[in-house]
Amino acid sequence: MAVAEIIPPSRFEALGKLFMKRGFGSPVSVAISVLVFAVLGWIAWSFLDWAVFRAVWRKENVENCGHGGACWAVIDARHRLILFGTYPFDQHWRSTLAALAIVVTVVLSCVPAMWAARRLAVLWIAGFASYYLLMEGSLLGLQQVTTDGWGGLSLTLFLFAAVVLLGMPMGLGLALMRRSQMPVVKWFAVIIIDTIRSLPLVTTLFTAAIVVPLFLPSWLDGDKIWRVIFGFALFFACYQAEVFRGGFQAIPRGQFEAGKALGLGYWSILGRIVLPQVFRHALPSTINMVVVTFKETAIVTIIGFFDILASGKTAFGTADWAPYYIEVYLCVAAIYWVFIFSLGQYGEYLKGRMALAER
Amino acid sequence: MTKFLAVGAILAASLAAPQMAAAQSETVKQIEERGTLLCSGHNGSYFGFVEVNDNNEWKGLDIDLCRALTTAILGDPDKNQIVPLSWAQRFPALQSGDVDLIIKATGWTMGRDTEQGLQFSLPYFFGGAQLMAHGDLGVTEAAELAGGTICVEAGTTIERLVANYLQTENIEHSMVSYESAAELRSAYLANRCDAFAAWGPFLAVLRATEIDNPDAHVILGDQLSAEPIAAAMRQGDEAFVDVVNWMLAALLIAEEEGITSANVDEMAATPPNPRVARLLGAEPGMGERLGMRDSWAREMIAAVGNFGEIYDRNLGKDSPYKLERGLNNLWSHGGVLYAPILD
Repeated sequence: MAVAEIIPPSRFEALGKLFMKRGFGSPVSVAISVLVFAVLGWIAWSFLDWAVFRAVWRKENVENCGHGGACWAVIDARHRLILFGTYPFDQHWRSTLAALAIVVTVVLSCVPAMWAARRLAVLWIAGFASYYLLMEGSLLGLQQVTTDGWGGLSLTLFLFAAVVLLGMPMGLGLALMRRSQMPVVKWFAVIIIDTIRSLPLVTTLFTAAIVVPLFLPSWLDGDKIWRVIFGFALFFACYQAEVFRGGFQAIPRGQFEAGKALGLGYWSILGRIVLPQVFRHALPSTINMVVVTFKETAIVTIIGFFDILASGKTAFGTADWAPYYIEVYLCVAAIYWVFIFSLGQYGEYLKGRMALAER
Repeated sequence: MTKFLAVGAILAASLAAPQMAAAQSETVKQIEERGTLLCSGHNGSYFGFVEVNDNNEWKGLDIDLCRALTTAILGDPDKNQIVPLSWAQRFPALQSGDVDLIIKATGWTMGRDTEQGLQFSLPYFFGGAQLMAHGDLGVTEAAELAGGTICVEAGTTIERLVANYLQTENIEHSMVSYESAAELRSAYLANRCDAFAAWGPFLAVLRATEIDNPDAHVILGDQLSAEPIAAAMRQGDEAFVDVVNWMLAALLIAEEEGITSANVDEMAATPPNPRVARLLGAEPGMGERLGMRDSWAREMIAAVGNFGEIYDRNLGKDSPYKLERGLNNLWSHGGVLYAPILD
């Protein structure tokens, strides 16, 4: 509220005045401000000088690299490797379309108009099926590409979306089981959640990828990628269950009792009274979990998947491009930033939307 | 179920071993049924051995050996599938059948050979500690470094090897150790050391990739150690080990006899001696005894070349790394690579 009082109708003017007053009010502030701006300006200039003015952009000009400027030629030459991993070169359109299908699926799932169980189910099945059909290819009569060949950004997006979309319902299920009155169900959930949470993610994924096939019969093995997605989703679900539990605890018992008194059944109380509030309370931590999960997908490189970070490392993994690893890492960081920043902004939007309910 | 059957088959095979001289390998049978050979790749890049080119295709010394084996078994170098694996994952992945064998810069150690249930092929590469020096010193071997400063990474086996070697050779020196490889590299580049010790192929990569003027640095000829790098396979399929060993042997014999990917057809048509005739399938014997085609070696050499060609393309003079053959030359050229006798 305090800010609203200080800022009169024209916000820019007011901010400018505030800035002058705080930054240049006394000789000491002037000195500090000038020094700070000079240092910031120098840093910004050196970065721009390196990244833009003296940079080499095209792979044809690679011999000019290494003279004090960034060598974006490495991105020009190797961007397909970063984006698609070792997916066959002439089939990259499929990987592009598949990645778009995942992005569209995720974006649509974020739109409030889609928030109905049936619509979401149809959307997710359609989204993941088109990803799989395009990437694998044999069912569409295209060249078959097994999951070992999937990689880069398309793989990272797919892993992320699959883990979150599978893990979210699993997490809700576990949270409900943990609150159950039936001891067997309750203790089952408690044991699962606490066991998985006390194991590092790498161990869980390593077990799913490598240890499980040693004792499962081979017809149950499935492809490594599905086992890994399931293991990762289980890990996500166990943490998410605890986030939901926090949401449940914020709701007074009286609401359940009031619901029962009105003659509503368990599912009606849950679906119409409790869950909407649980989601609202759990939202900030949920967004945290989702963002962390996006970044954690990079761990799959340990079990031999070519996610975007691994394919980035491979991009500078030949003698020609080895000196330009900073450029590759910056490019990969920028891609991560775009996705995670968008997720964060969406979280802000959701918070604003849900704040309406509190008025 | 198939796993249990496989175990059963292996047990039965070991009981019936004496009569099994020419039986086909279980693994080769599976590869033929599948139509692809599953090889190990890397979850990234291991310079010179496993890399990805600008067209998103795998390349490198280890990849070329996989292509050679694919041609030998299936007759087409592209019928393989490179499964990206991390270092930690490679042995479990082999045991669970995700790959048919591991060709991935893997050293032959006693622990792996015994406790881990692996068996190794003939070594195809020897890597060991070597020294790199500034070119303007004009040195070519360690003895000329007398009185100089040698830098190593602290606490590594390299440190001990260098100390041992220089002491045995009675070379006066002072040794400086650095905590990290990055510090070591910058100390060397800042001329604080005359020479620096590390794994040979690593030095070659470093020289080719991170040093502005690669020609100003010399990797000295002294080999301070030699660790054999070999292909690793699951225990219990001796016939498959035979196939892999003779794949490597054929590449080496081809180099000894001067057979290259360019002249292989000519050599097969008019073999200069009986050994070449047998190797290239002009005379029978090469295929039947391994349960394969008589022409497998000819097709393989046509597809990937002989061992020297593979080495030069990926690590040697035709690659950016320019790593001398050294130990990895044929015995007749001062190296330690040799092929078993082709009778």
